[in-house]
Amino acid sequence: MADILPEHPEFLWHNPDPKPSYDAIIVGGGGHGLATAYYLAKNHGMTNIAVLERGWLAGGNMARNTTIIRSNYLWDESAGMYEKSLKLWEQLPEELEYDFLFSQRGVMNLAHTLGDVRESMRRVGANQLNGVDAEWITPEQVKELCPIINIGDDIRYPVMGATYQPRAGIAKHDHVAWAFARKCDEMGVDIIQNCEVTGFIKDGNRVTGVKTNRGTINAGKVALCGAGHSSVLAEQAGFDLPIQSHPLQALVSELHEPVHPTVVMSNHVHVYVSQAHKGELVMGAGIDTYNGYGQRGAFHVIEEQMAAAVELFPIFGRAHVLRTWGGIVDTTMDASPIVSKTPIDQLYVNCGWGTGGFKGTPGAGFTFAHTIANDEPHELNAGFSIERFETGHLIDEHGAAAVAH
Amino acid sequence: MAEQVLTDISALRTSPLAHMAFALQQGAVAGERGVSARELAFTTQIGLRAEPGSEAHAALAAATGVGLPASVGEVAGNAEGTAVLWSGPDEFLVVAPEGTELFDDLVAALGQSAGQVVDLSANRTVVELSGPSARLVLEKGCPADLHPRSFGVGTAIATVLGPVPVLLWKTAEDTFRLLPRASFADYTARWLLDAMTEFASPEVD
Amino acid sequence: MMLIECPWCGPRNETEYGYGGEAHVAYPADPNALTDNEWAKFLFYRKNPKGLFAERWVHSAGCRRWFNAVRDTLTYEFKAVYKPGEPQPIATTNAPAQGGTK
Repeated sequence: MADILPEHPEFLWHNPDPKPSYDAIIVGGGGHGLATAYYLAKNHGMTNIAVLERGWLAGGNMARNTTIIRSNYLWDESAGMYEKSLKLWEQLPEELEYDFLFSQRGVMNLAHTLGDVRESMRRVGANQLNGVDAEWITPEQVKELCPIINIGDDIRYPVMGATYQPRAGIAKHDHVAWAFARKCDEMGVDIIQNCEVTGFIKDGNRVTGVKTNRGTINAGKVALCGAGHSSVLAEQAGFDLPIQSHPLQALVSELHEPVHPTVVMSNHVHVYVSQAHKGELVMGAGIDTYNGYGQRGAFHVIEEQMAAAVELFPIFGRAHVLRTWGGIVDTTMDASPIVSKTPIDQLYVNCGWGTGGFKGTPGAGFTFAHTIANDEPHELNAGFSIERFETGHLIDEHGAAAVAH
Repeated sequence: MAEQVLTDISALRTSPLAHMAFALQQGAVAGERGVSARELAFTTQIGLRAEPGSEAHAALAAATGVGLPASVGEVAGNAEGTAVLWSGPDEFLVVAPEGTELFDDLVAALGQSAGQVVDLSANRTVVELSGPSARLVLEKGCPADLHPRSFGVGTAIATVLGPVPVLLWKTAEDTFRLLPRASFADYTARWLLDAMTEFASPEVD
Repeated sequence: MMLIECPWCGPRNETEYGYGGEAHVAYPADPNALTDNEWAKFLFYRKNPKGLFAERWVHSAGCRRWFNAVRDTLTYEFKAVYKPGEPQPIATTNAPAQGGTK
């Protein structure tokens, strides 16, 4: 596409060595870790903090997602969290002084069966009650918004309508990370790459620091943003998480002229697709079923996803897959995240975003920072505690979230 | 009112691929790259379950007349008469020509022992794929190793063809029988026809 | 794509199998005796190690039998497969003890 990517200086952040001690340490330098650091510094005045990243900045799921942003979730807790996130997305380009190509081109979730239709309409109703800009659209309206889609009734999964959220869209994921990193750096946050946490230091039931491959670092508070590796970190720290890590794959085609003006998701056939600013078609698949930390999955998953995509978009039959890759997604049993205190004092965890973490980046950062700074959850993440699995107050978002798990 | 009982229903039966008979006939490819498919309808099929080493297993093995296969891939008996395919460590499928009277004997042999004899004749149909290119056709969609060194004549396994679960049985050199469940038979036949098409043209180097 | 060794059918393509998650998780003998926390642990918590993991698979498209496997969740390499009731041949962090027979 014609969009010119914004210029940025050669270095957006420094590469400091770890100090002996910080007020707070955030483990994980992906989108959520950086957003958490940003809001800790900006909203809570905590600038003597560090983000520890075992690899390179934003090289995990932040580099591997399909960049979809939306807030049309069913339950009140989710609508609150994801809509807050979307509102933050809307102000972030200006606030971070960085045009990361946030494009509110709308997202539609297709309905292919009468069951889908009922579930979708119910969700639209719930969204509207929660102030989320969702609407139900007919197959003809789907076609109007996305002319290349096949709305014929002679296909295996005909399009019977869709939910549509006009304010939803996509953003350029790596630029989002860089934007957060630059602001964090400006406010004095240490972003430390190639620094792997290997253990936790505790005084009684209170965490007091972390062991890393670059030495021991003391900390008043420690916050986990480890995504697919959350279980590994929790085990090191000595508590359990109800998380299973799975490979999730995505792919891009080679560059094409603009053909796909919006974002189309289909839970039923496991495909979600948009066209990135450069012109490549970006598609995501379902998770590979087994537990995995390998950042790769099997080709039959890609094949099934492509079969669905080609049926919905016949012209994709002529497109070539340029590249496929995998990330590690941390899934919970109710397809909702955990943004919570932990059984260990001054240790906090943000995980379980499954296949939908990118859209939650600012919302997670905003509420998690509040939780860390106040040792109490924000009202928006109070429901996303670990305790919900014990109280039974689950937030079942399999309908809204579960394209893939 | 006089009772009207239809005693011979064979004229009313329709096999799962009856509607595809003509298409399969038309799709046959002749010559050295030839391959053709046809339905073998209405075979007798009986599902057996019995733990190897048990009394029931011994009794059923005797009653089939051909024994029971011992492990994966094995077939007791032969394709012309009664055959028993291995479908699990304690699970077997008798496949025999239409009209084979075996069911009552097997039920009697099992008696009250722990096990199972179930008439499954309507569960799966049989598609016979034969010709020099038969294996090449199957290899487009079957992930099992079908090379003769590991899949010889007289081998049968449960696997998939494309997305369809099938029993795959090699009954002769270049001849395979596929047993999809009845509701997948139409798809299987169309899948085969599609996969067979290329062999009507000369091989591309 | 993984080539998985079914204990009964031998090596078959990954697509013939279904995944069953962590192996050797015992159903509580008396669910009513559990605290909420213990019940939550049974219902929602499964191990998620990076490395060797004892897990269940089912050969859905083949013999339809469930079996156990020890697999490395990082490399995806299968270290061992074993039938239900057979002792676990390689120790993992999620199994109660090496030689467990559940």
